Amino acid sequence: MAILELNQVKKSFGTDHKKVDALKETNFQANKGELIAVIGPSGSGKSTFLTIAGGLQTPSSGDIIINNQNLTALNEKKRSKIRLKEIGFILQSSNLIPFLTVDMQMKLLDKVKKGNMTKEELEQLYEDLGISDLRSKYPVDLSGGERQRAAIAKALYSNPSIILADEPTASLDSDRAYEVMELLKNETKNKNTTTIVVTHDIRLIGYCDKVYNMTDGVLTLEKEKQAVE
Amino acid sequence: MFLAWNEIKKNKLRFTLITGVLMLVSYLVFFLSGLATGLESLNRESVDKWEATAIILTEESDKSLPQSSMILDEVNGVDAKESAVIGQINAIAASGDQKNNVSIFGIEKDEFIMPNVTEGKEFSNTNEVIASDSLKEDGFKLGDNLQLSSTEERLTIVGFTDEARFNGAPVLYGDLSTFHRVKYGEAAELNADQINGIVVRTDDLSSVTQNDALEVSEIETFIRNLPGYTEQNLTLNFMIYFLFAISSVIVAIFLYVLTVQKISMFGVMKAQGISNRYLSQSVIAQTFILAAIGVTVGFVLTLISGAFLPSAVPVSFDLAIMILYGLILIIVAILGAVFSVLTIVKIDPLKAIGG
Repeated sequence: MAILELNQVKKSFGTDHKKVDALKETNFQANKGELIAVIGPSGSGKSTFLTIAGGLQTPSSGDIIINNQNLTALNEKKRSKIRLKEIGFILQSSNLIPFLTVDMQMKLLDKVKKGNMTKEELEQLYEDLGISDLRSKYPVDLSGGERQRAAIAKALYSNPSIILADEPTASLDSDRAYEVMELLKNETKNKNTTTIVVTHDIRLIGYCDKVYNMTDGVLTLEKEKQAVE
Repeated sequence: MFLAWNEIKKNKLRFTLITGVLMLVSYLVFFLSGLATGLESLNRESVDKWEATAIILTEESDKSLPQSSMILDEVNGVDAKESAVIGQINAIAASGDQKNNVSIFGIEKDEFIMPNVTEGKEFSNTNEVIASDSLKEDGFKLGDNLQLSSTEERLTIVGFTDEARFNGAPVLYGDLSTFHRVKYGEAAELNADQINGIVVRTDDLSSVTQNDALEVSEIETFIRNLPGYTEQNLTLNFMIYFLFAISSVIVAIFLYVLTVQKISMFGVMKAQGISNRYLSQSVIAQTFILAAIGVTVGFVLTLISGAFLPSAVPVSFDLAIMILYGLILIIVAILGAVFSVLTIVKIDPLKAIGG
């Protein structure tokens, strides 16, 4: 079942002869339980794709549909509510708030999302991500890998439908990068969410069900699970 | 509040600095308000103590008590519930080495402006006076024989009363004949019907007197016309109002700098779907906490330092005014935070996260 659809989505910057097509006409569909990678060189349009899919910027044309809601028809306030409810972001640099402990980061989400995760579910999430012992630590006291795991916990808090990850392993060594991908894969499968990872690290594509390639704003399906395996 | 309070707890030094500045500004505001109240009292407390409605002075005196001159019989033409005649003259009173400016009030003992006696007894003979107890702090005491400037008359302090200062000088209350002797010396008997004004309590000021040469002034108007009173109050109040504006600007600058430093963090939060409203409320709540702590500490420090001030400093703390000014300080601080709120609203999450 499609949870995220991009129908004939284009994104251009500038006008007339200075016009740049950052994302050429794109049709894309992501289903529940899928871990999808979008690979491509820097400046190819990967991040534009991700931010449009996440409702952070509006496309020049086309529709973005998340859980049967057309995002392009909504104003920023409503898009913001959908982001809060449906999407978990994992950013290149950790998205942790520096003055909150790991536990407080979750408590903040609990407040703004009006709390839909029980204490037991949160404990399980900590355990799954191996951060049970880090809950009272501030981001500055965590290693790069621990920070990214805490950021993933934040993204997964209250079970969003979609996880959008922008270079989630960029600041990690190989072992930590594989560890993070393993976590994302497990969470995607166990919770039947949809995860889209934008990366230029092709070593990570083995974890993914589908791999798309982005070149000069054109998105093409490169491989599907069977082909990857 | 959650975000606001936890940020303060984690960054104690940074927020202590902001609170410290707010504390110092509020300390200055409270102190100036105390000074304003003290100086006001110095000018008006004896008049306030009369609890009168108005004072009748000659029209040509321009509401100045010492410049007004009328005869005692004018009181017969006054239509008021209660009336009290008054004569007034300024002098320097000396007792031994002690010298002080005084304002001598000549009154009738049985009229309503007769002060209560807190120590000693009422005056019963000519040249006996009840003195303001503020003179005690300058070394004057019961039984002192006061030598006056510009007259040979000597006055004896037979009692003290509280709240008895007029236009910056302690008051000596005596009977009319004492006043006449001090003012006219050997010609006192010839001027025995001279007074400066008539103080009244009434519900209807329009019918108090029909004499065109006399002018009825409400007590507040009379006080405002005391020499230097209005100018002094305006000066101090302007300083206080400027401090309100300054504290608002200080908070605005501090919070704006903090907000700019956190643009990326706010952008990430907005990308995650946390609303402008929540983030703005957090900044407002943070400002409220900082301002409330700063103002409260400033308030307590003012009261503590007030207790150790020498009596020569005319400071008097009016708690109602201090609380009002404290609330205004908190409100202007929050107004200063609005600038940061606008900055947060304008943050583009896409730019903030580097998309």
